Amino acid sequence: MRMDTVIMGGGLSGLACGISLAKRGKRVAIVASGQSTLLFNGGSMELLGHVNGKAVTNPLEAIATLPESHPYSKIGADRIASLAERIKLLFSDSGIEMTGSADANHWRVTPMGVAKPAWLTLNDHLRIDDLNNLPAKRLALMCIRGYFDQPNAMLAQGLRDLGFEVDMIEFTTDDITALRRSPSEMRATSLAKHLVSNNALRRLADQVNSLAGDTDMVLLPSVFGQSDSSDYQALQAMAKKPVRLVSTLPPSVAGMRMMTQLRHYFRMLGGTYLMGDTAVSGTFEGDRLTSITTAKLADMPLKADNFVLATGSFISRGLRADYERVYEPVLGVDVDADADREQWTHFGVLQPQAYFGYGVATDGNLHCLKQGKPIQNLYAIGSVLSGHDAIKMGDGTGVSLMTAIAAADHIRESK
Amino acid sequence: MAERMQICNLSENNFEQCTKCSICTTVCPVAAVTTDYPGPKQAGPDGERYRLKDPAYFDKALKLCLNCKRCEVACPSGVHIADIIQHARMSASAGHHASLRDTMLANTDLLGTMANLVAPVANATLGLKPTKLVMDSVMAIDKHRTFPAYSRQKFTTWFKRHAAKQQDAFPNHVSYFHGCYVNYNFPKLGQDLVKLMNAIGYGVHLLEKEQCCGVALIANGLYKQAKRQARTNAASIRKAVNMDHRTVLTTSSSCTFNLRDEYPAVLKVDTTDVRDGISLATRFIYNLVDEEKVKLVFKQDYKRRIAYHTACHMQRMGWQLYSIELMRMIPSLDLQVLEQNCCGISGTYGFKKENYERSQAIGSILFKDISDAQVEAVATDCETCKWQIEMSTGLPVENPISILADALDLDATRKANGID
Repeated sequence: MRMDTVIMGGGLSGLACGISLAKRGKRVAIVASGQSTLLFNGGSMELLGHVNGKAVTNPLEAIATLPESHPYSKIGADRIASLAERIKLLFSDSGIEMTGSADANHWRVTPMGVAKPAWLTLNDHLRIDDLNNLPAKRLALMCIRGYFDQPNAMLAQGLRDLGFEVDMIEFTTDDITALRRSPSEMRATSLAKHLVSNNALRRLADQVNSLAGDTDMVLLPSVFGQSDSSDYQALQAMAKKPVRLVSTLPPSVAGMRMMTQLRHYFRMLGGTYLMGDTAVSGTFEGDRLTSITTAKLADMPLKADNFVLATGSFISRGLRADYERVYEPVLGVDVDADADREQWTHFGVLQPQAYFGYGVATDGNLHCLKQGKPIQNLYAIGSVLSGHDAIKMGDGTGVSLMTAIAAADHIRESK
Repeated sequence: MAERMQICNLSENNFEQCTKCSICTTVCPVAAVTTDYPGPKQAGPDGERYRLKDPAYFDKALKLCLNCKRCEVACPSGVHIADIIQHARMSASAGHHASLRDTMLANTDLLGTMANLVAPVANATLGLKPTKLVMDSVMAIDKHRTFPAYSRQKFTTWFKRHAAKQQDAFPNHVSYFHGCYVNYNFPKLGQDLVKLMNAIGYGVHLLEKEQCCGVALIANGLYKQAKRQARTNAASIRKAVNMDHRTVLTTSSSCTFNLRDEYPAVLKVDTTDVRDGISLATRFIYNLVDEEKVKLVFKQDYKRRIAYHTACHMQRMGWQLYSIELMRMIPSLDLQVLEQNCCGISGTYGFKKENYERSQAIGSILFKDISDAQVEAVATDCETCKWQIEMSTGLPVENPISILADALDLDATRKANGID
């Protein structure tokens, strides 16, 4: 089968790249082995959160100071601002409503109550533009009885540390109590599936309205709206106070919602999304990749003019490590990683770890290298890339999106 | 040492690879509509840890699993979650007997043979309100369900009378595993396949001996019988593939998945040596076109708007692409590909009275998508999805092979492939 572009990996970067190409009428197939790490996302995109341990206030300025090996530097710091606008458009076209700007980070709040710099945050999630000017004075932190994926005491303490007054209010409704029959599976995504009918939302809004007292804003765990924000909007319409959602431990409803919306938009544009299939190998001719094979299409190679490697990092198996080496398992392209295994990790799990920055080696145009030579029609994007650190720098989703659009541009400009 | 450790790290059904991320539960259609079912993570890998200690930890709620395999498709770690659940059900059922109702529902071929003999009577009777009420109360088969109509003539009878003789004359040959549905309920699909394959120069042949693939037997706990039938089918398929050098084609996604993957994984009847020789017809035809070995010429005026539903087992095989891309070759067909959602019938599951409401609740997302798509018909590769969607949406549901056969300009196709 021949496509214009085949993308290996169906997560955030693969979908963003796929949408960008499909929108211009290209025939695109995405091979996605299972659900992606977007399901661990708390409802925000980060461009650049920290440099040398310091919180970044203006990402665009800070990006200009990054080393050459960072994916942003390969795109060109001067292009980031315009790409940022296009990415916002891509989200809104997909029905994902987010707010933020590339030259001024705002703060998102983690499930543990820690404020972290963010670029874009879903409109229904708690967003703090200025720590000195909080969006509310007194918060009603609504805690669902029997729900363990929100560590309430820590969250409340964290919010107080930020300067909020917090009323912790435990509550439940009949719909939620029914779910407790299966406590091990009482997760955000299960709640979101059962809190969908107008009646269930009405019962919840009634509880919130009667319990929220004199507070200015109601915080609820992010358990509303798996496929769009309509459940949240219905709830807000019934609630007497402004309602904001706080991200929960994964799997995340916000992540699932974004995944669903991006995938739906990609399909609407005519894209082919091969869910549950895995790219297993590729055939090279000189400095070009001519086709890949997948586990399920087996005897039918996928041929294309261009290919994109968006298989993610170690957790998504886009990178693998054994006792001797770090490697890229599908195409065997070059990786940037220490040869000496002793250097991969350092003592202390919260310390910076060298392996966080490992990934596929690319040239200045995001072409993958194989034995040191660029493959002219193969691009690497997202977490599989070397030279960035989602955990310590807070640049994971930004790199995924920026490199996705940059690679799509390279593909459109090629030949 | 290092390699040895990696080998020891392999576990049955990739059980040890589970990282407890719960992503499987987010896509489980059953857990989405009921709290009676604990979800695939708990029912699968989590519960398995307990069951390994003591089989008494088996949870009866596992019978609510549809075996739709969506959990396996979603799993980022390659764990065969549904297989773990199936194995647990199998071990727990040892020594138990299936009920009369389950035995009847599972024996699609026995029921079909009897019903074909008296098709007009059977169809009329099964559709009557009093019959439905009796079945509902005595057999616990839900009264909302209508049994698929039985054909007066079996596909195999038609084939032997009207088609068998001509088949040897074609330059190329395939075998056809028609399955129960084509044989007893809907011979037209088999006839469409013969028409289509003949037009591109392929003779179609029956297997030496075909029995029901057994997918319904597995679902209803009749494992011994399923194994017996699997061995018979495996032998016939082996003969077709190895001796006659014919690919065995199918027109049902669930039969295909069962023959290729469930036989070895669940029933331990090894078909891995001939796995590549078993193919859904759309995949086989797509590959022929892709490799430019055959040409399809379509009518220019086949103007229809159709939605494609990916059956769960189709997605598990990852083959929806073939059916979709083949239909996209039809010039004036407007094909809407639906988001993959379970229709809720899962073979015989939805026929059971205790499952009816759950079955409809599961399918509700899909039914809404179909009604939003504003189409005149739905295409899918699974016959039980067809019954469910027809009953729940009122729209006709067709197999992609039938759509292709209808849209094909037969004379022009024969000519393009050098067949007189």
